[in-house]
Amino acid sequence: VTEDEFIELAAGHALHALDATEEEALEAAMLQHPGWVRHVTAALETSARLADLAEPIAPPPSVRSELLARIAEPALPLAPPAAADPAVEPPRRLLRRWLALAASIVVIAGVAVGSTVFLQQTSRPASIVALEQIDAAPDADWAAIELEGGGAATAHWSTSVGQAVLVVDGLPAPGSDQTFELWYVGADGPVPAGTFMTDTNGAATALLAGTFEPGLVIAVTVEPAGGSPTGAPSSDPVVAIAT
Amino acid sequence: VVIDGELVPGDGSRESDEVGLLLARIATGDRAAFTDLYDRFSSRAFGLIVRVLVDRSQSAEVLQEVFLEIWQSADRFAPNKGSGRTWILTIAHRRAIDRVRAAQASTDRDTRIGFRDLAVPADDVAEEVELKMESERVRTALSTLPDAQREAITLAYFGGYSQSEVAALVGAPLGTVKTRMRDGLGRLRIALEVGS
Repeated sequence: VTEDEFIELAAGHALHALDATEEEALEAAMLQHPGWVRHVTAALETSARLADLAEPIAPPPSVRSELLARIAEPALPLAPPAAADPAVEPPRRLLRRWLALAASIVVIAGVAVGSTVFLQQTSRPASIVALEQIDAAPDADWAAIELEGGGAATAHWSTSVGQAVLVVDGLPAPGSDQTFELWYVGADGPVPAGTFMTDTNGAATALLAGTFEPGLVIAVTVEPAGGSPTGAPSSDPVVAIAT
Repeated sequence: VVIDGELVPGDGSRESDEVGLLLARIATGDRAAFTDLYDRFSSRAFGLIVRVLVDRSQSAEVLQEVFLEIWQSADRFAPNKGSGRTWILTIAHRRAIDRVRAAQASTDRDTRIGFRDLAVPADDVAEEVELKMESERVRTALSTLPDAQREAITLAYFGGYSQSEVAALVGAPLGTVKTRMRDGLGRLRIALEVGS
């Protein structure tokens, strides 16, 4: 390869228009003539300016949240529900603890729950309809955590829709006289947001009752059947996701 | 000239490559630097990817791949081999084109983007960019090229066509197309005062 031929290869490379053989020839020539690398650099610096011809477009916000979730640190295990402290704590203290828990939980990236999957279902529970509405909203967002034992929980929310849906899979079953209870946790402490049961796989899609507001923590505790009689959680959360 | 918050001297060289410094921090696992870089470059990279791929939802996937690659391989950025900005946009461009080639038969592409539209920048493209000094500068530089060179470069860069595909499309020998790309890029480099 002469230097003239190399400059031609460098131009093709910078436009991403070479075939595999030519790319190899370029690589080989660069190893042989380290000084020629400057031709590749110059061609790339020039071709990258062509990108300025494309008008910048704001990407969907979900790309950002998924990326930041993907690069987050590995998960810390959640406290098992058995370690529950039955004493009712002052709301602020509880919130601090839950928020700390939620903050320490790693949000993982997952495959977003595609609404098309649900469109194929014949029955359409309120939680599924809400999930579709949330996912279709321009401000749709989600966060996922890994559960002890390999399960996962994903919260989907939209401020404009004013709702949040929690999708769990592999959540260990509660006792026969127990249920899962949902909570919105804000500055005034946990507010009950309904109960749900999981299927034999520990899976459920649950719509939180009440209005979603940004910054609320979405949490789940194990409670006596029918929900906590006091209206306050009686155990530590098995799921806590900061929004 | 300010590009992406970076002061770029008129000669195209960079006295300080702020983006390159961000990449160096990202290479150490600095998430804040990564977030900063994303907020600065995502719109620009997404605009480029959409221009090549057209489909928004596929473009969003590619954008995510691009930034994951940046996160994972920022340590491979070599400041002596070009600016951080070029490194990022090169990854975005390469991944967009790889997706076009993987996802579409070339016949699809021919119908999706008429290559004649690509060869000469259309008016609406000019409108989109007219407020952007740098775009204007690039457009002007591109318009000074002979038609055949501009066509070869635009078909490759925005259309995702390889040299042999461009040759088939425009009905010119492969060697001629290679020369057009080299000469066209060389002229652009001079017009845009890109240093080496």
